[in-house]
Amino acid sequence: MYVKAVPTTDLNRNTEWFTYPGVWTTYILILFFSWLIVLSLFGCSSGMAWTIVHLAHFLVTYQFFHWKKGTPFADDQGIYNRLTWWEQIDNGKQLTRNRKFLTVVPVVLYLIASHTTDYENPMLFFNTLAVFILVVAKFPNMHKVRIFGINADH
Amino acid sequence: MIAIPYLTALTTYFSYGLLFAFGQLRDFFRKFIDWWSSNNLQGYAPICLGLEDFYIRRLYLRIQIKASNQYLIIHSEKASEFEYASGDWDCFGRPISSAPDAWFDVVERFSNDNNKTLTRTTKISRCLNLGSYNYLGFAASDEYCTPRAIESLKRYSPSTCSSRVDGGTTALHNKLEKCVANFIGKPAAIVFGMGYVTNSAILPVLMGKGGLIISDSLNHNSIVNGARGSGATIRVFQHNTPAHLEEVLREQIAEGQPRTHRPWKKIMVIVEGIYSMEGELCKLPEIIAAYTYLDEAHSIGAVGKTGRGVCELLGVDTADVDIMMGTFTKSFGSCGGYIAGSKELIQYLKYTCPAHLYATSISPPAAQQIISSIKVILGEDGTNRGAQKLLRIRENSNFFRSELQKMGFEVLGDNDSPVMPIMLYNPAKIPAFSRECLKQNVAVVTVAFPATPLLLARARICISASHTKEDLVQALEVISRVGDLVGIKYFPAEPNKQEQDESLKKLD
Repeated sequence: MYVKAVPTTDLNRNTEWFTYPGVWTTYILILFFSWLIVLSLFGCSSGMAWTIVHLAHFLVTYQFFHWKKGTPFADDQGIYNRLTWWEQIDNGKQLTRNRKFLTVVPVVLYLIASHTTDYENPMLFFNTLAVFILVVAKFPNMHKVRIFGINADH
Repeated sequence: MIAIPYLTALTTYFSYGLLFAFGQLRDFFRKFIDWWSSNNLQGYAPICLGLEDFYIRRLYLRIQIKASNQYLIIHSEKASEFEYASGDWDCFGRPISSAPDAWFDVVERFSNDNNKTLTRTTKISRCLNLGSYNYLGFAASDEYCTPRAIESLKRYSPSTCSSRVDGGTTALHNKLEKCVANFIGKPAAIVFGMGYVTNSAILPVLMGKGGLIISDSLNHNSIVNGARGSGATIRVFQHNTPAHLEEVLREQIAEGQPRTHRPWKKIMVIVEGIYSMEGELCKLPEIIAAYTYLDEAHSIGAVGKTGRGVCELLGVDTADVDIMMGTFTKSFGSCGGYIAGSKELIQYLKYTCPAHLYATSISPPAAQQIISSIKVILGEDGTNRGAQKLLRIRENSNFFRSELQKMGFEVLGDNDSPVMPIMLYNPAKIPAFSRECLKQNVAVVTVAFPATPLLLARARICISASHTKEDLVQALEVISRVGDLVGIKYFPAEPNKQEQDESLKKLD
């Protein structure tokens, strides 16, 4: 019923909230509830709903994890202005538990979406593209890499 | 160690997620609308890069304004009891119009545009002050200190109008430094005009490139600023965990400087006496290692048998702590900060520290106030008011904390510490708690992200020696009522002793 909230050593207030208990559960619950909402709003099959959730999740997480740089606060004096959120978490250390969890979630979503649509095209194409981009963006070798200068600084 | 109910953690994340999503949506539409409307700012660069002020614009103001609606969503069954105040005071930046004593006057404000701007009225409400750092009650007029401060104001004028090295050292300043050194128990001390500046101007002087600063993860912003400005490498250890500090120390000493792996030039560990957001005491006896810098902003004058701070309380010899820093704003009712250390250290600081060389020296009436209040604390004014104040603040803190815990609130902090945060967690409960308490004439300070971690928003109560038992009992009643209304009694309440006796009698 009660969980212990241990203060972290992360000084970056943009990412330290991710180290507290309950974040993973909230993330999974948000995905589940958005699937229910999509099902009730559009009245589509459950497979289409999972595909919509998967693609929306792709757009949202790409925008906030891998596109937006810096922090929403001004008083850390811009030391993180060149780093995306993904590059900031856990102080840049690769392959931590949080990063592994965040890499697994889009893959699991992809599997659910493609299974419930029976691997039909064109949904399969878009799902595969989405999961490919997301997983490649989370590789340790892609830390601070900007392909073709996309999203690089001025 | 904070124990948070799991469901509360989930709902708090969900609330913040909702606020964040709304903020992003509004920013998105704002970008569209601004693209359409022309602006006459050709050739000017924007003040903020797009993302920097997102928190201020979309979350901080939003928590003030919309949180009352969100509170209804989460606690719909209590909606009938929750009245909307027509003059909704927001909870940050309330102006006061009297000295911050145990009871003070809060200026009422109203807003015509949904809390975006607030206008002051001439009405005031007399509230119980649970937010000021008035630990020993020197914030208001004192019978020994105030006449002497006024006399020094007439004699030395309000400002020295000069830095210490030019013309700003008066006899008062020398007397103050000796007084402070004597009180702390160190050979010498140096005094600055501002507490924040003391940390952020001293650390760059003491540490430089090639040094290592190991600081507690919950250290104050002034320390973080000073450490960043010094150019030394900074490592953080888990709050108040000596085992982790030892691990970090061993690892860093073995590795050496970042790229060259040469041994570090200097290693300094920075901790605070009482952490202002937690109310916890530092585990000083186990943390003394390398050079220790102790920031006693909240603990000097407030804890310890004779008010000498955390070293006296925990039985640590002051010679073991190399640099002791503190401020005069909390327990002494004045302004400014000091550093106490060995004679060589203070001599060195006097010709290198920019706050000493270039900043205006501390104002003479403020200095006199500090000298007088130290005399009262030590009993040198001929009465035992100092000892009474120290006893009262200890009793008040312990009484208040134990009563709050009995009611079922989650209160942080150790025994004897006059700072007690009550955990709120949910962003909607922050303004709700603040406003409801103010309606019943109790003024509390609520703190949320980013001063605290995202999950752990709290209302911080500072007990003073000038609070009487009746004040505390009244505050407890108000907080209990508001706590029931807002729903922050996360722990089961302990039953009243009287009820237990009655139920035993019934069995007989």
